[in-house]
Amino acid sequence: MEQDVDFHFRSPLSRGELDPNRLRSTQVGMWAWLWQRISALAILVFLGLHLTLTYIPLIQFLLLLAVVFHAVLGLRVILLDFGVVDVRYQKALIGGLAALGILMFIIIWFTIY
Amino acid sequence: MPRHRQKRRVFKVFRYDPTTRYEGHFDLFELEIEDESLTTILDVLLRIQRKYDPSLAFRYSCRISMCGSCGMVINGKEALACQTVLANLKGKEITIRPLNHFPVVRDLVVDMDPFFENYNKALTYFQAAQEMDEPAIIRPDSKERKIISDATECIACGCCVSACTMAHWHKDYLGPGALNRAFTLLADSRDGLHKERMAEVLEACYSCRTEFNCTEVCPKEISPTRAIKYIQLLAAKEAFQREPHLLDTEEAAPPLKEYSETDEQMTRRRFLSTATLGLAGVTALFIGGLLTATGFVPSMRERPRKWVHVGRVEDFPPGSIKTVNIHYKARDGFYESLVEKPVLVSRKAGTDKITIFDSRCTHLGCTVNWDEKKNLFICPCHMGTFYPDGRVKSGPPPRPLDRYLTKLKNGDLFVEEA
Repeated sequence: MEQDVDFHFRSPLSRGELDPNRLRSTQVGMWAWLWQRISALAILVFLGLHLTLTYIPLIQFLLLLAVVFHAVLGLRVILLDFGVVDVRYQKALIGGLAALGILMFIIIWFTIY
Repeated sequence: MPRHRQKRRVFKVFRYDPTTRYEGHFDLFELEIEDESLTTILDVLLRIQRKYDPSLAFRYSCRISMCGSCGMVINGKEALACQTVLANLKGKEITIRPLNHFPVVRDLVVDMDPFFENYNKALTYFQAAQEMDEPAIIRPDSKERKIISDATECIACGCCVSACTMAHWHKDYLGPGALNRAFTLLADSRDGLHKERMAEVLEACYSCRTEFNCTEVCPKEISPTRAIKYIQLLAAKEAFQREPHLLDTEEAAPPLKEYSETDEQMTRRRFLSTATLGLAGVTALFIGGLLTATGFVPSMRERPRKWVHVGRVEDFPPGSIKTVNIHYKARDGFYESLVEKPVLVSRKAGTDKITIFDSRCTHLGCTVNWDEKKNLFICPCHMGTFYPDGRVKSGPPPRPLDRYLTKLKNGDLFVEEA
């Protein structure tokens, strides 16, 4: 017996769509990925501002912050990509490199000022 | 009363009817759970189906996380329904959704065809490289076996592809599942389809953005990220090896075709990779050289000496010491300014020798004056004193007065100014 019913598959859902747990279920690895991209845009904006309005410490501060942030996350990706650090330590790497980043920031800032 | 004893939980289950074209909705079911630590999502779904709504559709088979049928998104995270215990789920409502990135057939059932199509594209079957009479020996403690480790445990449940956001943004991405499977064979030394498989996964493996979502959700605790990193590194290594590759055009021959190896032949891929590397190297050298040059060359250039006119020799009778103001234009980067500064001209009695001192005190830079009565240079700031030849007599100055280079030309006196 043939069914004469019209069948339509629903188009695929994407991650987080129709999901009240969207933010809660996002893991730290994904945040690192996302913040890497956001800080890249932030660098572009602050760099442009810094080159136009030089000698303003606030802009320099924000630019340095964005650069160190992006660099720290970038270092993590490099270390993971080339197998220097095993993939299972990816979360620990965030913490470790963040501490390094804060240290670099303090050293650089207080060298300038 | 222990926390995981009798409790009422609310379940928000995604529903979709394939005979319609709408987007789907959520149904709420409230259930009384006797013991949360002994109840899984699969139990809940079965109970809902039997007691409340027989039209609820979902896949399951083995119930012991071996078959991979019951993959779904529970409270935002992909998991197997038979493996997810209620006691571990927090929140007022528990949301149950079908897997992402696959067409939804009905309720919680998705069409897994795209998953297996990609799986097959990665040539996930073994074909021996050499004919052997004996079984190949790969020791369990060998490096090769340890590298592959648990990646072979994959049950093809599709949770990883559902979790990976690149599967949404890159429509043709093979996916972590297929790439993990390909990895288990690419890392296997017995495999004979290495080059063909590598050609298939090469483009896909760069879609991975190292989000780690797949690793987080895998019910078998496999890390497809690790597998994809391995493939990327392998691809990088192989790009520089001298082995000729199989056809590297998009419309490559069917995988099982035999190819002939000729050492003399420079394949297109090898040429392109060498050319790119060469070009990158040249560019790096060029830019590096340019930047170094801009740093060093200006200071190595011969700067013409600038001579500033002080006065005529006749203006300075022998035995006199006078203060003269000189004027010149100073350039500091882009900034040009007119400078006026005093210099001390001293002509010794009985000689033609003229010494011109910088009037800047060597202590902290105040202007030094010549005191006729005391026959000394005196700095008013901290009472530093200098002899007529510039040596320090007393006070804080650490060294004698600086002298200028002088030039005498046609009776005109000049000093060199930087």
